[in-house]
Amino acid sequence: MLRVGIIGCGKIADGHVEQIRAIGRGEVVAVCDREPLMAEQLAVRMKIPGRYDDAAEMFAKERLDVVHIATPPDSHLFLAKMAFAAGCHVFMEKPFALTALQTREILALAQQAGRKAGVNYLYNYETPGLELEELVKKGTLGEIVHLDTNYGYNLAGDYGLAVMTDPGHWVHRLPGKLFHNVLDHVLAKVIPFLGDEIDTRVLAFRRRGPTGSAIVDAMPDELRFILRSGGVTVSGNVSAHGRPVPHTLKVVGTNDSVELDYTARTLIRASRWSAPSALGRQFMAWTQAKQLAGNGRRNITRFRKYEFHYFQCMRVLLDRFYDAVEGKGPDPIPPEQILRVCQVIDQIVEGVNACMAEQNGNGTAKEVAA
Amino acid sequence: MKILVTGAGGFLGKQIARSLLMQGQFDLRLHFRNKAPAGFIESLLKEFPQAQIETAAANLLARGSFDAMLQGVDGVIHAAAGMKGAAADMFANTVMGSRNVFEACGKTGIQRITLISSFAVYKTDGMKPGDTLGEDTPIEPVGVDKGPYGYAKTRQEHMFMEFAAQYSFETVILRPGVIYGPGGGALSPRVGLKAMGLFASLGNGALLPLTYVENCADAVARAAVHAPSGSAFAVTDDNIPTCRQYLDGYLKNVQKMRVVPLSFGVFMWVSKKLVAYNKASKGQMPAVFTPYVVKSMYTPIRYSNEGLKRIGWTQRVPTADGLSRTYAWLKSQLPR
Repeated sequence: MLRVGIIGCGKIADGHVEQIRAIGRGEVVAVCDREPLMAEQLAVRMKIPGRYDDAAEMFAKERLDVVHIATPPDSHLFLAKMAFAAGCHVFMEKPFALTALQTREILALAQQAGRKAGVNYLYNYETPGLELEELVKKGTLGEIVHLDTNYGYNLAGDYGLAVMTDPGHWVHRLPGKLFHNVLDHVLAKVIPFLGDEIDTRVLAFRRRGPTGSAIVDAMPDELRFILRSGGVTVSGNVSAHGRPVPHTLKVVGTNDSVELDYTARTLIRASRWSAPSALGRQFMAWTQAKQLAGNGRRNITRFRKYEFHYFQCMRVLLDRFYDAVEGKGPDPIPPEQILRVCQVIDQIVEGVNACMAEQNGNGTAKEVAA
Repeated sequence: MKILVTGAGGFLGKQIARSLLMQGQFDLRLHFRNKAPAGFIESLLKEFPQAQIETAAANLLARGSFDAMLQGVDGVIHAAAGMKGAAADMFANTVMGSRNVFEACGKTGIQRITLISSFAVYKTDGMKPGDTLGEDTPIEPVGVDKGPYGYAKTRQEHMFMEFAAQYSFETVILRPGVIYGPGGGALSPRVGLKAMGLFASLGNGALLPLTYVENCADAVARAAVHAPSGSAFAVTDDNIPTCRQYLDGYLKNVQKMRVVPLSFGVFMWVSKKLVAYNKASKGQMPAVFTPYVVKSMYTPIRYSNEGLKRIGWTQRVPTADGLSRTYAWLKSQLPR
């Protein structure tokens, strides 16, 4: 059984511990947080024997095989260096690093150490994401023409409130602020369809009213972007105001198109007008309804088989990551994809900051890279 | 005597400020995370023109950043706490924030601290029908079995006593039951849960340990000034209803719901099944109600507020009035 440690004991650490235990591939033997109380609460609630407030001490004493780093991203490079030096594989919470430059450095360190560097791009492993993977592998969709990715967040929710009411929250220190913390979710799903050269256009603005805090008010809350790589384009919408909070992806291919809803865990193929005349159109809604019913049935089956956990996607991703660690499979998220995601984040963040610098309430489109 | 109230913008915190003024404590410093709710300070000054009210904004999670807020203060009422969110967030907002407050108080030489704790800290698993929960009831040693909120509040109390031993400040603890009133929540989980268009009624004939927010604030203000150091109080009102009576009042005065009553036997069975399912499914459904919590909810125990009465607290708002004001407010909040 692999010996696993967790660094960073905030709320996402619960998910890591639960899913490591669920897949039964490793034993969480120690947790670490520079705030001893946070290490204590995770260790007590989860009944984990080791707790530290110094990562170096944990590495020295615990002989870890794998470490999960779930701290804010400005500490990732420092901690990854320490982990690889201690001979550990690293599973990183997103964002992988603060910049693409740091990402490149972490990936190079992993290669030099002969260790794996994984990242929690979990939504690629939601059930609709896995079904999409199969469709693409079989060529069912043909060549990919366009992807439309939608991601929302709720500034009135627990996390949103923490960010909105605390100018000292670490999200405000990120170059791209709140977007920087969610863009991985938006981009990790589309990057596998893009090449190395990616043009980026960005529009960002703050839709909500001012709070009086310059730091909080500097944070935009609406983002639109367009990417183009060769013959493939991506349109992206990241919104704090759209309801219900969206998490969807539309994939348009030359043969067929699909719509994925990550919240409902459904994948629906686009309706096709196959029978002639107005009567033919009558069939289309029923065909869609049949597909939705099929998705519902499959979700019930997954529930019955205990495969419908909120973090089921993380469970699948971790299983594949631990396969890679044990030499039983490839990296679930290849290093070049991690780097490409981080490079596009850098481009979008540059565009966001240019927009925010120029505008006084109204958005401005910026061409960032070509 | 200058008193600082942390979390003065909260549901209870706002009323604590008013109760202190009503009890003749006119020298106040009120802490808010960002700023005071609109019109709040103005309304206090209008009502109490002789008051000296200062305000202080501070993030209690920023350790060592708010010593200035404590300068010149004689006593602190620490009411700020994390009431919701994930377990780690609740712990951080309650325990880390409190550690920072107690530490700053100790270093600044604050003489007396009053902590707003919770009923959730009481060790209730050994209580039998007819037993009385009051200031002598022991608290949990750890509290994990009481859920994230109970765990955080238990850790907060134990830490409070550790700091008191280190810095020798006077301590007073108030452990309110279910605080209710206009501006508060509608239905405590002790009363029941909404799901799929139905309302599962829980607790049935067990007393609901209510304390009307103004009565609770009066108790805090009274204890903060008059209680002997080292004392701890359970805070409930007199003539409190049972869970079922509270729900009946809600149905009659606020809104109709389709209610499914769950008896103790049925709910205990459900909770055991939930725990087993949670384990078998590796967490697919959370074990929201453990058998321990269910037993605590249904055991018909009594509640004592005798300790509060001994220090001169009286219930200002009768329970019947508190309930009718609350129901009227809840009804006014329903979407039209």
